Amino acid sequence: MAAQLRLSALAAAQYRVGFWTEGVLAVFWSLVGIVPLWVAIDHRGAVVGWGPWELMVLTGCFAALSSVFGAFLQPALIESMNHIRRGTLDHVLLRPADSLLLCLVAAFSPWRLLELVFGLVLIALSLARLGVTPELASVGVALGMGLASVACLYGLGILTLCLSFRAMQLQNLTYLFEALLDFSRWPIGVFRGLLKALFTFVIPLAVMTTYPAAALIGRADVTTLASALLTGAALLVVARLCWQVAVRGYTSASS
Amino acid sequence: MSARHQLRALAALWRLGFAEASAYRVALFVWILTSTFPLISLALWAGIARDAPVGDFTQRDFVAYFVGAFLIRQLTSSWVVWDLERQIATGELSALLLRPIHPLLHHLMTNLAALPLRAALAAPLAIAVLVAAGGLQIAPSSLELLVLPLALVGAWLINFSVQLIIGSLAFWITSSSALYELWMTCYVVLSGYAVPTSLLPAGMTTAVRYLPFHAALGFPVELLIGRLSPAELLTGFAVQCCWVVALALAAGWTWRRGARVYGAVGA
Repeated sequence: MAAQLRLSALAAAQYRVGFWTEGVLAVFWSLVGIVPLWVAIDHRGAVVGWGPWELMVLTGCFAALSSVFGAFLQPALIESMNHIRRGTLDHVLLRPADSLLLCLVAAFSPWRLLELVFGLVLIALSLARLGVTPELASVGVALGMGLASVACLYGLGILTLCLSFRAMQLQNLTYLFEALLDFSRWPIGVFRGLLKALFTFVIPLAVMTTYPAAALIGRADVTTLASALLTGAALLVVARLCWQVAVRGYTSASS
Repeated sequence: MSARHQLRALAALWRLGFAEASAYRVALFVWILTSTFPLISLALWAGIARDAPVGDFTQRDFVAYFVGAFLIRQLTSSWVVWDLERQIATGELSALLLRPIHPLLHHLMTNLAALPLRAALAAPLAIAVLVAAGGLQIAPSSLELLVLPLALVGAWLINFSVQLIIGSLAFWITSSSALYELWMTCYVVLSGYAVPTSLLPAGMTTAVRYLPFHAALGFPVELLIGRLSPAELLTGFAVQCCWVVALALAAGWTWRRGARVYGAVGA
């Protein structure tokens, strides 16, 4: 597995231009995406109880998550979907390691990690600006939230991958995923009714960015943490089960 | 080749494009779902405007605006960049160049042919959202409906030309689609796709209205929902016309220069 990751990293390092086309572009996108938030702040002063710098903490969390998605999950999904489409997934299934894990490290875009650095710096700056020095306990809660957030991301990613066994030509599912992820820039409170339920329980954008950011500014409690971790774990289990069913139904190029 | 042959070839290309679009219905549908971005923005801004209007936008204005943005985006987008980049990188373009039909005409027809299917898939979604949000209250005047197709054609031409320019850059550089992403990033914010441009700070709004982004989306949307005074309408058309001419000329020029380089490397 480590070998696979190293291979992908080496392949990416050959193309220095990726620094500009992937890294810098992603950071630029993170920055530009602030404009709608800024417009809302400009007219309202606060968005559902989140002040400007609190929203910047949220933006930092979003950038970090988006970086994990772009660097690890998205390239791996695209590569695995290509395997499925061409019927070359056999080569992966035959290897003496867990096939799902192998699929999840099939490719890697290290330049996108630049966005992670940007996100962390933004979080630190905004927290300093807010005058919040996170206590050890709230850092712990935030880390737990971060874990739940990544678990949700991967759970959803695996489910997307399972879908691509059923229908071909679904590379654009990952773009749909990316577009949806973009709404996790906003605190979950701006959504109402059906969409709020959708983004809390089905596609848990709330767990993915709002909760970690809330934890950092000391607004989350242990019950939220427990529910977030539970959501993440449940998604992973469901995704794992779906994967097993999907692989069983997979017919390769030769069979 | 006679004019009649040309027409028949164009009709064949149209059928090809239509068949391709309908063969990948699921892909097209997922693509449309991806572009429902304005509909989620709608929920978001309508939520923020629940208690009091944001700027001069009430909750209902947001509904009309974003449903309009969704529809107009569906009707004016194309995907030349990725096709052209692939064709240049793999050498597929050589085959296209040998045909008696200009390769650009090929792109034009295949892109246009997907529009009816796309409109058919997007319209029910837009209507459902309108019904769920309590109906549309703004009825555009007959003059506005009359000139709307013109604005749509202009917007489509701007998008197509920009894609052609950036796609043609693939003759020289390998990552032209990354450049397009840069363009799209600016587009999302400056065209009125993520937030109506009139809500930006006053000075910025004025400046943004002269950019091609706004001419390609914000202007037709505002025209559709009847937010433009006659004077603004005229300025809008003038700005749009200028961009169409400038970008189309630039696209033709990059394409010709690029095609020469392509031949020169012997592909």
